Amino acid sequence: MNLALSIAVDATLITLVLALAAFGLAIIYGLVGVINMGHGAMLTLGAYFAWATTTAGIPFGLAVLLSALGVCVVGLLFEHLVIRFFYDRPFETLLLTWAFFLIATEVIKIVFGTDFRNVESPLPGAYELAGLKIPAYRSAVAGFTLLLIGASAFVFFRTSIGIKIRALIQNREVASLLGLNIALTYKLVFGFGAFMAGLAGALIAPMLSIDPYIGNVFLVRSFFVVIVGGVGQLLSGTLLGSFFIGGSETLFALFTNQVVAQAAVFFIAIMILRFRPQGLIKGR
Amino acid sequence: MSETLSKQEKSVRRSRWGGETGVAMVVFALLALLPTVFSGYVIYILPQYMLFGLLAMSLGLLWGFGGILSFGQAAFFAVGGYAMGLMMQQALPVNAAYLGIIVAVLAGGGLAAIAGYFLFSAGVRATYFVLITLALSIIAEQIAVSQSQITGGWNGLFVDRMSLTFGPLGEVSLYGDVAFYYFVLPLIVLCYLGFRWLTLSKVGKVLVGIRENEDRVIALGFNVSAYKTLVFALSGGLAGFAGALYASQANFVSPSLAGVLFSTEVVVWVAIGGRASLLGALLGGILVSSLSNYLSAITPEYWQLLLGIIFILVIAFFKSGLSGAVVQLFQFLQRRRG
Repeated sequence: MNLALSIAVDATLITLVLALAAFGLAIIYGLVGVINMGHGAMLTLGAYFAWATTTAGIPFGLAVLLSALGVCVVGLLFEHLVIRFFYDRPFETLLLTWAFFLIATEVIKIVFGTDFRNVESPLPGAYELAGLKIPAYRSAVAGFTLLLIGASAFVFFRTSIGIKIRALIQNREVASLLGLNIALTYKLVFGFGAFMAGLAGALIAPMLSIDPYIGNVFLVRSFFVVIVGGVGQLLSGTLLGSFFIGGSETLFALFTNQVVAQAAVFFIAIMILRFRPQGLIKGR
Repeated sequence: MSETLSKQEKSVRRSRWGGETGVAMVVFALLALLPTVFSGYVIYILPQYMLFGLLAMSLGLLWGFGGILSFGQAAFFAVGGYAMGLMMQQALPVNAAYLGIIVAVLAGGGLAAIAGYFLFSAGVRATYFVLITLALSIIAEQIAVSQSQITGGWNGLFVDRMSLTFGPLGEVSLYGDVAFYYFVLPLIVLCYLGFRWLTLSKVGKVLVGIRENEDRVIALGFNVSAYKTLVFALSGGLAGFAGALYASQANFVSPSLAGVLFSTEVVVWVAIGGRASLLGALLGGILVSSLSNYLSAITPEYWQLLLGIIFILVIAFFKSGLSGAVVQLFQFLQRRRG
C-alpha cells in the first residue's frame, strides 16, 4: 500500500515537472505552429541564468524571474531577426530553431564553460506526510506548475487577449480582418513561450547539476508530451501527455533501469502516434 | 520502353545524367590521385570522411529527393558499425567482414523499412517524422550504452581492420591506409552511380513528385507510403553500409555514433553541401567533416558557433546549399555569355 502511494506521489511530481518543462513548447507549437527545436537550449539558458543570478547573490525567487525574462529577450530577438519571416513554412522554422540550439549551446559553452554547475535548492530536504517522505522543493515546483497552468487557463478562456489568441488560431485571415495585429500577436506568443521555457529551466536548475546539454533530455520528452497529449490542447493535453510520458517512465523504472525505461517510454509514445496521430485529446 | 522515347527526350535524359555525373567523375579522379601527393594522416583520415560523405548522401537521397527529413540517420550508421564489430568477433568459416557488411546493410535497411512502413502507412506528418527519428537515435544510443555485455557500453567496441579474401586466390590485407583508401573510394563511386541512376529512374521521379506535391501523386494512383518506405529503407541500408566500413576503418564504434549530436551533424552537412544533388550531399559530408576536424583542433567553440551561423544562413537564403549556389553561378555566367 505504502509502495503504491509512494509511486503515485513520484509519478505526480514527475508529471508536473515535465508539464512545466513542456509548457513553453506547447504554447509556441500549439499557437503559432513553430516546432521549436531550440526549446531545450532555452531551458538550458534559463538554468544557467539562474546559476549566474543566484551566484551573484540575488534571492532565488527574483533570480528565477530575471532568468525567465532573460530567455524571453533572447527568444524575442531570435523571433525578430529570423523566425518571423518563416511562420508559414514549418519545415524551415524547425531547422532554424535547431540552428538556434546549436548556436545557443556553443555560446553557453563559451560564456559558462563545460563544467557542471549547481544551483542551491531554496527548499532543501523533505517533509513527511502520511508516512511518506516528499521532497520539499520538487513538490513546491509541482504546486507552482498547477498554479501556472490554472492562471494560463484563466487568461486563455476568460480575458480579451485570450479570445484574440484563440481567434487567431482558428482563422488567421478573419482575425486579421477584424483588426488583430497578427505579427505582434505571434511575437508575443513566441516571447511568452520563451519566457515559460526560461522559467522552467530556472526552476528545474536546483534539481540537477547543470551542463550545456541538460535541455536535450527535456526536448524530446517535451515533444512527446505535446504530440501525445494533442497539439493545441495547451492545458489538458500538456497535463495528460506529461502523465503518460512521466508516469510510464516512473513505472518502467521500477522494473528495469532508467535507460531502458526511457527507451520504452519513447517506444510507447511512437506507438500512440502511430495509432492516434492526432494525440490522445483530439486537436483542431 | 526506349523505343517510345523521342530523340529529344533521349538527349534531355543524357544531358541530365551527364552534367552532374561528369563533375562527380572529375571529383572522384582527383580523390583517386590524392594518395600520390599526400601520405600519412591525410590518407588515414580521408576514407573516414568519405564514409561520412556516404552517410550524408544517404540523407541527401531521403531529404533531397523524397522531401523526408530524418534526424536519426546516425542510428543506422551506428547499427551498421556495431553489426560489423559483432560479426568480426565471431569465428566464422567465411570472411567475417563480408558477412558483417551484409548484416549491416540488411540491419540498417530492415530497421528503416520497419520504422518507415509503420510510420508512413499511418500518414505520420513530416514534422512528426523528424521528431520520431530524433527519438530513434536516442533509443539507439541508449541501447548501445545499456547493453554493455554486447556493445561494450560507453567504452565502445574494438573492431579489426578487415581484409579482402578471394577464396583460393588469396588475401589482401587492408591494414595499410593506402590500401583501405583504394578499397573505399571505388565503393563510394559505385554507390554514387547506383543511387544517381535511381534518382533519374522512374522511382526518383515519383519521389520528386512526392516532395513537390504529395496529394497530387496520391491522386495519380501511386502508393506513396510504399515509395517513402522504399527510399527510407534504401537510405537506412546505405547508412548501415557506410557505418560498417567506418567501424573497420576507425577500428572502433561507440554509442556517440548513434547519438543525437552526430545525427544532427549529418543534417548540417547535407544542408550546407546541398540536398538537391547526391554529389552535393556527398561533398558536403566530406568537406564539412574534414573542416570540422581541422578547425575544432584550433578553435573548437568558435568553429561550432560559426557552423551554426552558416547553417542558419543556408537554411534562410540558400535552400539548395553550396552545390545549388554553384549551379546557379554557372547558369548566370552562361546566360551572360550567351
